[in-house]
Amino acid sequence: MILPALVLLPLLGGFIALVVGRLGDDAPRWVAILSLTLALVALAEAIVGGGSGRWYAEYRYDWAPALGVSVIFALDGLSASLLAVSLGLGIVSVVVSWNTTSNVPLLNATLCWTVAASNGVFLSFDILVLAFFWELMLVPSFLLISLWGHGDREAAAMKFLVFNAIAGLGLLASVFYIGATANPVTFDAFSISAMHIPRTVQVWLLLGFALAFMVKLPVPPLHAWLPDAHTQAPTAGSILLAGVLLKTGAYGLFRFPAMLFPEAVPVLAPYGLVLGGFGTIYAALIACGQTDAKRLVAYTSVAHMSVVLMGISGGVDFSMMGAGIIMVAHAFSASALFLLLGAIYDRVGTRDLRELGGLQRSAPRFAVAFALFFSATLAMPGTSNFLGEALVITGMFQVSWIYAAITLVSLVVSVVYATRLFKHVVFGTSRKAEVKEDLRPAELGPVIVLATGTLLFGLLPQILMVALEPAVDAAVLPLAAGAP
Amino acid sequence: MMATSVPGLPLILLGLGAVVAMLLAPRARPGAARAAAALSLAAALVAAILRFHASVVPGNMLVDDGMNRLGQALVCLTALGALAFLRPGAAAREAPALLLLAALGAVLLCGAVHAATLFLGLELVTLSLVAMFVLPMSRPALEAGYKLLILGGIGAATLLLAVALSYAATGVLSLDAWSGRGPLVSLGTALLLAGLAFKLALVPFHMWTPDAFSGAPAAAAAFAGTGSKIGVTILLLRLDAAGPPEPLWSVGLALLAGASILLGNLQALRQTSVTRMLGYSSIAHSGYIIAIVAAGSALVPEAALFYLSGYALALIAAMCAAADTGRDSHLGNLRGLVWSRPLVGGALAVSLLSLAGLPASVGFFGKFYLFTALISREAWGLLIVAAVGSALGLYFYARFAAAVFRQGPDWPPHELCWTDAAVLLLCSLIILGTGLFPTSLLDLVRMSVNPG
Repeated sequence: MILPALVLLPLLGGFIALVVGRLGDDAPRWVAILSLTLALVALAEAIVGGGSGRWYAEYRYDWAPALGVSVIFALDGLSASLLAVSLGLGIVSVVVSWNTTSNVPLLNATLCWTVAASNGVFLSFDILVLAFFWELMLVPSFLLISLWGHGDREAAAMKFLVFNAIAGLGLLASVFYIGATANPVTFDAFSISAMHIPRTVQVWLLLGFALAFMVKLPVPPLHAWLPDAHTQAPTAGSILLAGVLLKTGAYGLFRFPAMLFPEAVPVLAPYGLVLGGFGTIYAALIACGQTDAKRLVAYTSVAHMSVVLMGISGGVDFSMMGAGIIMVAHAFSASALFLLLGAIYDRVGTRDLRELGGLQRSAPRFAVAFALFFSATLAMPGTSNFLGEALVITGMFQVSWIYAAITLVSLVVSVVYATRLFKHVVFGTSRKAEVKEDLRPAELGPVIVLATGTLLFGLLPQILMVALEPAVDAAVLPLAAGAP
Repeated sequence: MMATSVPGLPLILLGLGAVVAMLLAPRARPGAARAAAALSLAAALVAAILRFHASVVPGNMLVDDGMNRLGQALVCLTALGALAFLRPGAAAREAPALLLLAALGAVLLCGAVHAATLFLGLELVTLSLVAMFVLPMSRPALEAGYKLLILGGIGAATLLLAVALSYAATGVLSLDAWSGRGPLVSLGTALLLAGLAFKLALVPFHMWTPDAFSGAPAAAAAFAGTGSKIGVTILLLRLDAAGPPEPLWSVGLALLAGASILLGNLQALRQTSVTRMLGYSSIAHSGYIIAIVAAGSALVPEAALFYLSGYALALIAAMCAAADTGRDSHLGNLRGLVWSRPLVGGALAVSLLSLAGLPASVGFFGKFYLFTALISREAWGLLIVAAVGSALGLYFYARFAAAVFRQGPDWPPHELCWTDAAVLLLCSLIILGTGLFPTSLLDLVRMSVNPG
């Protein structure tokens, strides 16, 4: 079966990378790339070989029948897009950490395992297996920050772990409650969605799910772990955090509330809108005041993910589709920015905006890349981010003009922080930290891949929209049916 | 039926083994007593396993049912694990014999249905452990031994009083005495809870545990945290089934559980030595098991025993690794362990993963059972306490686990003894294997607690 391979290949690749560490440092890197590429091929195979229905492929295995747990994997356009992103960014993260010299086998293993566990999240439709992968993700990413991070990495890693693990308990509690009350015992999301759970119970269960997803997303005031984790993480870690881990939170909110708790969603969605609206303005304003470039980008992630939360809470076709597109678009643009900032940090040892500058003269390729991804961050037309933001705003008008206004304001603030970053890094002159060396081929390759993703879906959005449509419909329909 | 053995055979084998090991101790090489002990433990294990499918044999003093057989097998396994990293030097030749006696006591507890066997089993465990604790004759070891002796003595006195009170009220010495009602039985139940809490290291009767883990020989502490806990837990499950006066019993258990989970985890948070941290974590894990019993769902025996088996595996591996790194394995000194000694470091990391209840380890399914047992009885208070505890736990387990992977100075070369290597390897493999494929252990536990 092809779907388990998407999880098992990177998982196995990680173990092989550990073992072949004895052959030198290059072996684990190539093993990691090979396993991720094979998984990508398997994904392509699953998409191409898929039928005409919503699901490209499905997989079922009775894991622990005594507990009612089965591994249920299913692949639709939403999962496939995110899986492609996570595998692609996995390869990118291996490439960008090529020059790291400490603990190379374990580094590549943790990169593979992070991708493997998040792939499990994107595929699982058995909620206990979902919770299993959800918790499993924490282990390699914790090690990634704690062992290869910068500065106060141990504290940052611990903060990441504790925040997410506590929030994960909400998910676990809800999952176990469903398991304990379902008769016969089942964790199959498709069966649960057919079950009738009383509305008040649904609200509590959804709160548990939402806690885990919103901390991972993250939305203020649950975001406190993210700026530290992002700033201290190694470049590869930041890429996977921004591109993959945050998306698991967004994916969870996108997929499961409407599927499992359709009656609770209308009760809690207004709070989601308020939180998202507050979060996007708050995080965007904080981003404007940052001097550490990586921290700034981290806050822009919070702002964009808050827009995703608004789009999902809006619960209409447009806003959902917009949220889905931002999920993919942000994975490209934020990872690329972290990659570029990491490359600068490797050269000059600082990320302080006041010390950087003058890239446009000393390193033109850097400057061009920055220009592209800055415009993506502020949602310039032509980038896929624009389409996402525009659809969310359109959807917000159907919900309430207030939220539409908030999204518009946040878009304006995003122009402020993006131009500020652009001005300080690319223009002017730097007294202390002049970047003399332009992008190396090993950096240019990943940048081109990410740029292609940003522009391709910006200029030909139809590809992505067709892929996402069934998932959007599936998320909107139960709500429409439940509405009075 | 040739495949089944005699009901009491494990007890007889362990007793004989203890005598042989005791006789061998003064003269023969230290290895001989250890080999004799290992042989009798293995024989007892086989004898217990061969009876897995036999029918229940009731009795006045001891009962031979599925729970008893599972308990016997688990006790023998943990004792074998502890024996593997027991260091019977010239000064501690008696250690294998004492370990066998402790195992005999724990095995006795697994089948005990009478006050006499209950008391005999408990005291056999405690006294042998006291002797094992003090064998190195170092200051910390003596302190650990004294604490257990004094606190265990108080526990024994409390238990005796509890038995006396319930006997006075009901005139029965079997465990059914606790199903009686009236002020005397209630008072007896309260004392019984206190007495058992000493043995299970529950707050506020836990003081001996951290010292035992950091001061006593690692193998002795490991058996105190696993084998003896298995015996006492099975006894507790039998008492629970007898139906002691409510709400005293469940409320008392819930309070003990809540206090142990919170205090154990909070104290473990501050530890910088692996062994002391494991000591406090052992208090917290006792708390989780008691919380399962206190919630009183239909899952109780199954959930408690599954949790305990997973915990025992992790603790044995962790203590064995701690014994190999040196007893005062400080957090900062653990750096680079996994690179210099992959097996020791890897096993320590895996066992910490399991203790933290993270996926891909048996601990995740333990947590699954714990939460499910609490949720299905809607024990929200205990659920919140358990959630807080497991969140706190994650912090200190992750701290130690990350230290193991961090790069640090190279460790001095060290010959890993094959028995240690076997324990570390087997425990890690079973922890991970059961974490990925829980069905086999699950079915085993289920089969033993649900006869027929």
